Amino acid sequence: MLGFLILFPLVVAAVLLVVRNNAARNAIVSVSALVIGLASIWLVATYLGSPWVSFEFESPVVDYVCSGVGVLVAVAILYYGIRYKNVWACVLAVIQVVGALIFEFGFAHDIAVTEGLYLDSLSLLMAFIIGVIGSGICVYALGYMKDFQAHEPEGAKDRRPVFFALMFVFLSAMFLIVFSNNMVWLFTGWEVTTVCSFLLIAYTRTEEAIKNAFRQIIMNLLGGLGFLLALYVSAIQLNTLSLLEFLQIGVQNPALVVLPATALAFAGLTKAAQMPFHTWLLGAMVAPTPTSALLHSSTMVKAGVFLLVKLAPIFLVSPVPSVMVILVGGITFALCSFMAISQTNAKRVLAYSTIANLGLITACAGVGTPEAVWAAAFLILFHAIAKSLLFLCVGTAEHHIGSRDIEDMDLLFERMPRLARFMMLGIMCMFIAPFGMLVAKWATLVSFVDTGQVALILLLAFGSAATFMFWAKWLGKLSGIAGEPENVEVTVHRSEWISIMLMAVLVIVGCVCLPIISWILVEPYVYSVFGTVGQDISTANLWIASIAAALIAIVLFAGLGRNKAKKVDIYLAGVSANNEARVYKNSLSGESTATARNWYLEGIFGEKRIAPVGTVACSLVIIVAFAVSAVALPGLF
Amino acid sequence: MTYATKSPWVIHYDGSSCNGCDIEVLAALCPGFDVERFGIINTGNPKHADIFLVTGSVNERNIDVVKEIYNQMVEPKVVIACGICACSAGIFHDCYNVIGGVDQAIPVDVYAPGCAVRPEAIIDAVVQGLGILEEKSKALQAQKKGA
Amino acid sequence: MSLLAVLIGTLAFAVLAPIIGCFLAGLDRKISARMQGRVGPPLLQPYYDVRKLIEKDNVSVNSTEGTYITCALVFTLLAGGIFYSGGNLLMSVFVITLSGLFFIVAAYSTRSPYSEIGANRETLQVMAYEPMVLFMAVAFYMAAGTFNAAGVFSLDAPVITNIWLVFLGFLFVLTIKLRKSPFDLSYSHHAHQEIVKGITTEMSGKTLAKVEIMHWCENVLFLGWVGLFFVWGNLLSLILAVVVVLLVYFLEIWIDNNFARVKWQALLKSAWVVAFVAGFVNIAVLAYL
Repeated sequence: MLGFLILFPLVVAAVLLVVRNNAARNAIVSVSALVIGLASIWLVATYLGSPWVSFEFESPVVDYVCSGVGVLVAVAILYYGIRYKNVWACVLAVIQVVGALIFEFGFAHDIAVTEGLYLDSLSLLMAFIIGVIGSGICVYALGYMKDFQAHEPEGAKDRRPVFFALMFVFLSAMFLIVFSNNMVWLFTGWEVTTVCSFLLIAYTRTEEAIKNAFRQIIMNLLGGLGFLLALYVSAIQLNTLSLLEFLQIGVQNPALVVLPATALAFAGLTKAAQMPFHTWLLGAMVAPTPTSALLHSSTMVKAGVFLLVKLAPIFLVSPVPSVMVILVGGITFALCSFMAISQTNAKRVLAYSTIANLGLITACAGVGTPEAVWAAAFLILFHAIAKSLLFLCVGTAEHHIGSRDIEDMDLLFERMPRLARFMMLGIMCMFIAPFGMLVAKWATLVSFVDTGQVALILLLAFGSAATFMFWAKWLGKLSGIAGEPENVEVTVHRSEWISIMLMAVLVIVGCVCLPIISWILVEPYVYSVFGTVGQDISTANLWIASIAAALIAIVLFAGLGRNKAKKVDIYLAGVSANNEARVYKNSLSGESTATARNWYLEGIFGEKRIAPVGTVACSLVIIVAFAVSAVALPGLF
Repeated sequence: MTYATKSPWVIHYDGSSCNGCDIEVLAALCPGFDVERFGIINTGNPKHADIFLVTGSVNERNIDVVKEIYNQMVEPKVVIACGICACSAGIFHDCYNVIGGVDQAIPVDVYAPGCAVRPEAIIDAVVQGLGILEEKSKALQAQKKGA
Repeated sequence: MSLLAVLIGTLAFAVLAPIIGCFLAGLDRKISARMQGRVGPPLLQPYYDVRKLIEKDNVSVNSTEGTYITCALVFTLLAGGIFYSGGNLLMSVFVITLSGLFFIVAAYSTRSPYSEIGANRETLQVMAYEPMVLFMAVAFYMAAGTFNAAGVFSLDAPVITNIWLVFLGFLFVLTIKLRKSPFDLSYSHHAHQEIVKGITTEMSGKTLAKVEIMHWCENVLFLGWVGLFFVWGNLLSLILAVVVVLLVYFLEIWIDNNFARVKWQALLKSAWVVAFVAGFVNIAVLAYL
């Protein structure tokens, strides 16, 4: 089953690469997305509540294939690096491939990992996210990319086969990451996601896209080097490449794993786009929206936090990597939430919110207590669902109103009634009680208090306040109603609706069934790792949240717009010329339009003011952490 | 009894008054007269107001404003013309741009003459207006029940 | 705490809070008037106002505003129910924030420039007071060992003895939450300075009546949070709490009548600085000492 999930998307990708017919591609993508989705649901259902299950699977062939893939990845990066004359990318790629090959044939050869694959509840959760949300996004991309291609200049080459192939390779690599016990294989999946997102970001081949793609690849190759360093240390010092054994050794003997844990955490931080590496995720916004959705919700950045959450038991006992991860995550959460206030571009707001939430997950992983891990798992789940819903909505809105600026989403409630409601649902799920993200944030807060993380409480409180501001004003913009503007959502593709509906249903079901998800999926993981179940919110409170969430969903989709009151004009202080358009007669008998923009508070929360602070602070934290862990490495000095 | 008479909220509009009457309107709110004793409050928003106090006459420039404010007030509502200008345009009646009293623009329920109108006269006018407000309020309740 | 307790609490709150809140609002207007050298309206004036509003004609600028306001009111009642049934303080904080969000969205949905100014300011106010409110809940948890409001009855000493600094910080943001000058940016009480009527500009009749009732209930809830600081195992302490609550309410009225409204920059900065100092110092002391 695991093998199927890893290999099947690869096969689909290969087929998609050669199929040039649109109808055929639509069919293949839809069917295989359905297959992947069902397979992952079936997998979850089969192994529900099971602790760590290992699969005896050892194959030198796979090892060689992994090395081969590693070389291929490096060659691809080198090719583009030379073509676009980017020295850093070439240098890093060469270092990495040489390092990886020496490692593979010098050290790793003698170390056998008998249990190559495994699964536990966290992997299942991730598999569900990748399989259902990831493939949902692939279906969405069908309609989106059709419009996208239509907007391209005449005679532009149709590169959609490559696009869809890359999407499926991405899914495959993600499955590999979440199921691999062999850390070399895990590393391969890691690198494949890096290069896939590189290619997807550069898809449009504009100058900006290329520049941002290289920024992404350089930052993630740095993270990859961190991973490689961890592999070296683990192989030489601990003589193991099994993730399970690594974790066990780490928990029993924290002093031994300080350096590899720090290096792995560093890899996770780069991939999860934490400050100072947050710029790559912002740059990735130039890609077509399905790419952004995939990167943000179910893949790529989630690989980063997945690794961090896996390492949580080590963080619990090993202060150096723990403090690094906590501080970087906490600072990133607060500062990125601040910066999101100053953004008008919807996708940039989403990007900052993603980085901020990843920061929170990172901080939870760093705290490492059962309660914090419980919170982190829910943050991962709800962030994936809600963020993909939001990205898909923004993408569709962008194609129909011609802008991704929040100010242009004025009156969307009437222009795209269904879409606006879905978007509102997504936004609410991101920041307000009783929806999932907030329940998770609540658990986070409690776990921070219990562990006495005063700095984190502070960062969380101020960051959450900022979160309220930037989401609420967007929500308000969407909700505006005036006149009867033309409904422009009739031309939305069916594939887009299907995916958006899927995400919306997942949001509602997820929020309403939160206590059940906790019981069957998250608590087993926490129990299997820590031996105790910890969660800070009483079940009664969870049920109150779930009832309230159901109530809001009903109001949003069934209750709004049923009011029978007589309709009257708004107040414009004077004589209105066109009340619905907010036009009034001014003092010179001319006509003026009242405009009300949202507040962006550029002077306080502008990127220019805040980003440098975060970059410097987080870089310092990381450098100090590495220095300390290098010193602490027994035998190095 | 309806509650309309227990909490009459007022909106005050200055047409083309010389400001004499405006000052008297505000004087009514001050400690000397303290009309809040009767629940009267000066709101700045037609949607919240029950009583429309207009001072000054209606002219070509402000007639539409007076009408719009009146239209935006929610039923039941009462209009009180405060001061002689609001009643009949007073000494400005033959100015080139003056149309006349407020009743040229909207239906007026109570006239309170004076130059400037005394606060006592305003209070009296409001009390008289409350009677009309009560009738209108009852009519509205009956209509709501009928509908 | 069980779901049933919350349900009963919410129903009881829905009945009692408007009554108490109405009296408090009447008291507020009476005292304010006396401070200004006036006689002031009858004590029941807020009740008359709301009854009058309900009698007004049923009009609205759009079809959704009223629904949002109803949601806001319902969640206010739920927040009160959770708190007064001895439930989770943090949950109560979150639910009242949700109620605030619905209020804001209702104002935005009218798409009136004046409402939008009010809504923007209200959003800013939430951002300004939210950190301090969270610190208040966290500090309460650290001092009482539980988030449950009912937990205070098993204490030997009121939490104020440990977290008086947080209490002072909370008093600061309470001025924002009670919509008192100098922090009544989005929506002020009667006869105050205002751009039209801020966040409630487009609300009339029944909708405005609901807003008023919601405001009463909110006040009762927030004052309940104040009282929580002074209750411990001794049941007589409830009397002390009521006395303190009344004193605090009087203080807020006094502040309201003595300060002019500030700009939003001053609001945000002062609220955050107070939250940072009071919250950080007190929580750090609790965590490390």
